[in-house]
Amino acid sequence: MILQRRKMNAEVPSMAMGDIAFLLLIFFIILARVTDDSHVKVNKASGEELEKPKSKRVSVAIDTNQITYLNGVRINPDTITAALYQPDAPPGQQGLLGELPPGQRTVLLKIDKDTPAYLFEPVIEAVSKAGGELHHVLEEKK
Amino acid sequence: MKLRRQALLTEPPASATSDIAFILIIFFLVCASIQEDDGRPQEIPNSDKERQSKNPIRVGLERDHIKLNGEVMAMQVFEKKLATLLDQKVNEAEKTVAVRCGPTVPYGRWMEVTALIEDSGGTITLMRKVQ
Repeated sequence: MILQRRKMNAEVPSMAMGDIAFLLLIFFIILARVTDDSHVKVNKASGEELEKPKSKRVSVAIDTNQITYLNGVRINPDTITAALYQPDAPPGQQGLLGELPPGQRTVLLKIDKDTPAYLFEPVIEAVSKAGGELHHVLEEKK
Repeated sequence: MKLRRQALLTEPPASATSDIAFILIIFFLVCASIQEDDGRPQEIPNSDKERQSKNPIRVGLERDHIKLNGEVMAMQVFEKKLATLLDQKVNEAEKTVAVRCGPTVPYGRWMEVTALIEDSGGTITLMRKVQ
């Protein structure tokens, strides 16, 4: 009589796969959120005939607490020009706008509608000085 | 002798759990992260002296009033007078509008007025007190 050998069950246990995928995603989400400014709270000013920005590479924001951010990271407004463009620095270290050609030097301005002029005018001037193309982020007037 | 019945396997198949979790997370991420970035582009010329007008139209902006070339006026009157002044200018350099803004003017008001100036054909320059 020939006895048949019982087949070995060689499946990989897959119960934990969901948890692993979940943790990996959370990890990457947290990493990704460091570079965006969705955590900055801004009550947008209103405007008409709004357009989509040409580029979303750089954003400067002033939130409801009148704190200034560059790409979601808190920054001293006096250092914005240098952070955006340093023409005397070696190539690759010339700031966020670097050697980008005109048309791609868009800087999104997300400024809270109640921010006083003594805070937002220096920011606008700094972006302008760095050769940034201003794009004020607004909400459609109702 | 009693024969024991083998317990039935009642575990749900878990191999699809990761796919479901992944799709759910993508769904909520997409819902949460759509941010509208619509707005207005604005050109503020740099301090190139050749582009600066020698005699620009002057706008004084405060929280509660607005001045056009030193004269206080209502917003509707301002809009009409500015359009008339800009129509009289021939070349682009003459269409420069120098905006001097009070320190407490909120961004919402500033944006409203500068948009109006641009829509009337003016080019904005900012005048600030150097501290």
